[in-house]
Amino acid sequence: MRQLIQLRINGQAYEEEAEPRMLLAFFLRETIGLTGTHVGCVVGECGACSILLDGRVVKSCLLFAVQANGKEITTVEGLAQDGELSPIQEAFVKHYALQCGYCTSGMLLASHALLTRNPDSSEEEIRRGLAGNLCMCTGYTQIVDAVKAVAGEYKKG
Amino acid sequence: MTETRYIGKRIRSKEGPRHVSGGGQFVDDVSLPGMLHAVVLRSSYAHARLGHIDTRAALEVPGVVAVLTSEEVKRRSRPFKPGRYSAGLRKPIPEYATAVDRVRYVGEPVAMVAARSRAVAEDALDLISVKYEPLPAVVDPWEAMEPAAPLLFDELDSNVAWKGAVSYGDVDEAFQSADQIVREKLKIHRYSSTPLESLACLASFDDASRKLTVWCNGQNPEVIYDALGEALDVQDVRVILPDIGGGFGQKIHLIRKYVVLTGLMSVKTGRPVKWIEDRTEHMMAAGQSCGMEFDIEAAVKKDGTVLGLKIQEVDDVGGAVSTLTIHFTNKLNNLFSTYKVKNLRLEGRSVVTNKCPVVPNRGIGKPSMCFIWERMMDRVAQELGMSPVEVRLQNLVPTREFPYTAPNGNLYDSGDYTRLLERAVEKLEYEKLRKELKQKREKGKCLGVGLVIGLEPGGRNAARDMAIFPNVKELPGAGGVEGATIKLERNGSVTVFLGAPSCGQFHETTTAQVVAENLGLSPDHISVAPRYDSEVSPWGVASSNTGNNFHLYDIGAVHGASLKLREKVLQLSAHLLESSPEKLTIEEGTVTIKGSSHKTLTFKELGKIAYGNQSLIPEGLEAGLQTTYYYKFPHAQPFMVPDEEGRVRAQFTFSAAAHGAVVEIDTETGRVKVVRYIIVSDNGTIINPDVVDGQIYGSVAHGISVALGEGFVYDSDGQLLTVTLTDYAKPTACETPRVEIEHIPVPSPFSVLGQKAAGEGAAIPSPAAIASAVEDALQPFGIKIRELPLSPEVVWGLIRQGER
Repeated sequence: MRQLIQLRINGQAYEEEAEPRMLLAFFLRETIGLTGTHVGCVVGECGACSILLDGRVVKSCLLFAVQANGKEITTVEGLAQDGELSPIQEAFVKHYALQCGYCTSGMLLASHALLTRNPDSSEEEIRRGLAGNLCMCTGYTQIVDAVKAVAGEYKKG
Repeated sequence: MTETRYIGKRIRSKEGPRHVSGGGQFVDDVSLPGMLHAVVLRSSYAHARLGHIDTRAALEVPGVVAVLTSEEVKRRSRPFKPGRYSAGLRKPIPEYATAVDRVRYVGEPVAMVAARSRAVAEDALDLISVKYEPLPAVVDPWEAMEPAAPLLFDELDSNVAWKGAVSYGDVDEAFQSADQIVREKLKIHRYSSTPLESLACLASFDDASRKLTVWCNGQNPEVIYDALGEALDVQDVRVILPDIGGGFGQKIHLIRKYVVLTGLMSVKTGRPVKWIEDRTEHMMAAGQSCGMEFDIEAAVKKDGTVLGLKIQEVDDVGGAVSTLTIHFTNKLNNLFSTYKVKNLRLEGRSVVTNKCPVVPNRGIGKPSMCFIWERMMDRVAQELGMSPVEVRLQNLVPTREFPYTAPNGNLYDSGDYTRLLERAVEKLEYEKLRKELKQKREKGKCLGVGLVIGLEPGGRNAARDMAIFPNVKELPGAGGVEGATIKLERNGSVTVFLGAPSCGQFHETTTAQVVAENLGLSPDHISVAPRYDSEVSPWGVASSNTGNNFHLYDIGAVHGASLKLREKVLQLSAHLLESSPEKLTIEEGTVTIKGSSHKTLTFKELGKIAYGNQSLIPEGLEAGLQTTYYYKFPHAQPFMVPDEEGRVRAQFTFSAAAHGAVVEIDTETGRVKVVRYIIVSDNGTIINPDVVDGQIYGSVAHGISVALGEGFVYDSDGQLLTVTLTDYAKPTACETPRVEIEHIPVPSPFSVLGQKAAGEGAAIPSPAAIASAVEDALQPFGIKIRELPLSPEVVWGLIRQGER
């Protein structure tokens, strides 16, 4: 029943088995042990489990692990480089763009994908770009501020 | 406060780096060897007799280890002791971790399956067959009160499970001397803050030592600790509360059922068991705020002075009795809000219905009390032809009267309500704005402004609820006790243990700022344990991430413990430097003799000596550099315990804020857009401005969303129609407006640093502000706003009604 999955996660190659019905979110958390990807609804509404799949932001609770075969995944654990927080992470820390931390991983990846796509995002575009990620604590203000503040770094490339 | 180095400053947070790296540790991130995964079978009926549960087929599924049924729960556990919210029951009603004999709401737990994986456990769930005998459901509290209504509890002779009143001043006299009586009926729906992390528990029972260790995300350790002792025959209990993914009141009460159930499953199987609630379960069964209706009369003078209020309240408390009066008694916290009114009678009825039981939610009871006051102030202004601001100014507690004792015993520590309101008027350019909006309305635009004021009480007094149960035999605790432990480690760094958990309010950062200030050490060298652990956390009755407790109790304890440690550091240093404590100063973790730079001692040197070199420790000084301090609020008396007239200090600090909302309504769709929203806030001394602003942004966002449409909807059979976040209409960043905050802090004379609460805060006045603005916008249609939510559907209907 179990199927072999070969994929790269945060730059590292993995070869693991999974039941066909296993969701990608649980595969990352339980099989790989990357618990930074959080699960808030399992039906694609909250965005807590957002990851990058071949560079595009997706909700890992809406994919089966087997669908990630041959793909390149980035999770929140892959954002920092050589022990240094990435600019988007640093901006979230600086602007207090989180409270409980449960939505943060998904928010970061959605923000990163948004700014990579459009570093000139206006406030409205940022809000629309993050509309797939719910936060119950912050009222979004400091998150939007963090994303706005770091946009310049993405323009530099 | 005089000049500070760390308090009130913007510093890098302690929690931020771990959360942005995916390094937070939530319950679901903890795994133990041999761990089983549990799922809960829930009632699909709103009301039914619960017959035999057949688990045979489920137990045949490979990987399934055990099934716990309602029958077994009843046999192997004891009911919870009735708490302070069900003390008013005429007859005791036993409540277990699962339903017993009868289910009373959709989603009520009836059994639990444990298996090697969650998927297998869910497969098995479908194979359990339950014999239900459906009963007619009653979902409307008014129908539930009818004599012929189906009765939820055989122990009670009616679905009105509690009836009672509080009364202060001379209400009848106030109404007799009134020039006018203003009447109104108001209604607030059921909602929730829906924390993004749902309820979670991991229980591990060690059979040999008979010790039960539980990781869960409860906000109040006392509830969990007591529940395990009461329900299970286990005395050696350890409760660990790691990072919690949002609380807001949702994780205080009902979570105990699942902790006991998971704990019992671990006892039964002898293996660690993890249970993680899913979103739909959370919406159905983790608790909702109370649906409330109010019939209000205000006695007023021609000049706008409000002499008194009479309020009749009906609370729709759902299908359980453990939180029966919780939304009623919480109104004691802001019963008189910001007003100097002397007379008030509040009569309440708690009605059981076939809906989810009620739990607190960000300000519990207080948003509705504020809603009552602010709607009535607007109504009085309309009836007397006065400006809404004028009426409020006329009735506010005058600034010179602080500290002010409200008629129900609350001691308002500090405040300047007039200034808050006047500053909001100024910021909005209120009079000019009103004229402009009126002109725009005349041209067919639908715009309005609302300006309200509200109180944010902080620091819980556990004896408050006794105001409505004067005859209760056992006082469930009173006042607030909370501890903190601080340790200067061998390497010179400092570690702090708090008594209470955090749900994302940056307690580690704020704590580090206070300790840094008192100890003379950079916050970078101070680490605060990110989890609560009953074995090491110095906890008491106030050790709870509820009731706006942190600022008062935890900061009080941290302040006390760090001053105690400073004293110890100075004593040891004085001995070693052959000086005296008064002559010493501490900076950047180095003790120096004032005015001399060559005789110094670093914390690292002190740490090494205090734990490692008895020969250098003076006679009479305790070795080590560790202190624990338990804080009690020093101004809790009188009225810490209710007197004969029911006067009680329900809470101990009183923040306040004026909220101004400008809205525009699309009359074609009924959609309300918040054009501008301002808050002028007094939270006392601010320890960390980013944290306080964050709490305000978050709480106002929720209050606005509650007013504009999020909420639970049931059909007439008691089926919940809003089981997902989308159905429930949780707002995204697109629907959430940007809010302007201005601070006018009036420090408390009673708390250690002048600090007051900032947590529930802006969720309290915001529903009233939105209602007021929407009513103003709908003036041309002659519409009065009496109910929340003001979803597009409702507003559209109101407009159509107005046109007719």
